[in-house]
Amino acid sequence: MTNVHYNVDDDTIAVVEDTDLPRRLKDEVYETLEAREGATVEEADELAKAVESRYLDTRVDPLDPVGTVSAQSIGEPGTQLTMNTFHYAGVAEIDVTQGLPRLIELVDARKTPDTPMMTVYLEGEYATEREKAHEVVWNIEATKILALGDVSTNVADMRVQIALNEDTLEERMISAEEVAGIIEDSLGVKTVQQGTQIEFGPEEPSYRDLLQLVEELREITFKGIEEVSRVVIRREELEDGEEFVLYTEGSAFGDALEIEGVDASRTTCNNIHEIHRNLGIEAAREAIIEETNNTLAEQGLDDVNVRHLMLVADMMTNRGEIESIGRHGISGSKESVLARAAFEVTVNHLLNAAIHGEVDDLDGVTENVIVGKPIKLGTGDVDLRMGSTTSGNSQAD
Amino acid sequence: MVDVSQHELVPEHTVLEDDTLEEVLEEYDIDRTDLPKIQRKDPALPDEAEIGDVIKIVRDSRTTEQAIIYRLVVE
Repeated sequence: MTNVHYNVDDDTIAVVEDTDLPRRLKDEVYETLEAREGATVEEADELAKAVESRYLDTRVDPLDPVGTVSAQSIGEPGTQLTMNTFHYAGVAEIDVTQGLPRLIELVDARKTPDTPMMTVYLEGEYATEREKAHEVVWNIEATKILALGDVSTNVADMRVQIALNEDTLEERMISAEEVAGIIEDSLGVKTVQQGTQIEFGPEEPSYRDLLQLVEELREITFKGIEEVSRVVIRREELEDGEEFVLYTEGSAFGDALEIEGVDASRTTCNNIHEIHRNLGIEAAREAIIEETNNTLAEQGLDDVNVRHLMLVADMMTNRGEIESIGRHGISGSKESVLARAAFEVTVNHLLNAAIHGEVDDLDGVTENVIVGKPIKLGTGDVDLRMGSTTSGNSQAD
Repeated sequence: MVDVSQHELVPEHTVLEDDTLEEVLEEYDIDRTDLPKIQRKDPALPDEAEIGDVIKIVRDSRTTEQAIIYRLVVE
């Protein structure tokens, strides 16, 4: 028998455990009984039975069209979402796509979101000390040359001159030698480095090549992750103390997880494909539920039952990879020709089906609506027959 | 290398033994190919999992305490 941590007697436990309730509901029954001290076993039984019958009532009936119900339950509140790409400066001044555009982006399973971001949690002393947290910031945020010093072009000598800022170099933990080395590797030029001064130029004196070099120089990522353009550091309250959390503009989830000081057990990003690649399909499913739920909750529509979102996420991850809801994904991979044609680009589907001689078995709902047959849902799937015996017993098949 | 199974988004994955698999398929009255799929290259997959194996996944569910689901390893 399962352990019950509530202060109720054994008979009460027996009657509650005897019901067909899930664990959490049983626990709630215990809690209620505990709060009302002195409830008799009969009363406990009555309560448990009442909860059980209500629970069984609210379960989905066999042949219920759960998909259609989910579509409506998400679609109706969806009409109240903000239509325009409203950038919301909520968490730490980072713009994140919200509302309808974000929801569409999620169910369309876009390869990259409009505004990719990561929430990077830190571990150990990196999370508690600002200095340490900043170390991680410099390892994540892309450092370009303009952040390290001044670049000038000497047209007379055909040279690019960089005056690095010593304090910045120290702060970002990169040396002038390293900077010079990176420039040589990525531009294929010889550099002359003296202290914090770096100089280089094109092999042949050419004004065009010189400008070209400066352009390319600006693009080089000297430190950090190329995709991450900005990192915001924020102190967040915890139950026991506080910790530093990083929010990034741009994301490279796999790279970020490898960085020292990053808590690889909590860090997340808002790109479901990156999560799929790095953490697997189950994590992607969780992320889809979490993201859709947050998007709705942000707009005050958190009364959408999470089961609908879970169904969407289950469908999107059913084949082991993320599929979009729509003609390129789930609807487009339906077995039935008529169901596919009824969704979008009707003529193409019918034409291709005709060319390939496809057969439609009329098993699904849509195709039966098209041909005017009863659909196999609810009472449509049950055959009823009147009993012929005189005793009045009717039989259902 | 990062240990993927430690991440809070990743539930527990284990390879299902053949005899327990029979019970599961019987209970749901389905073939193993009717199960949801998981790719061979999925990072959360246990190392010993081969194509054709069935993975048992124990999720912390939002609607109940724990939810057990199964996925078939595919190419």
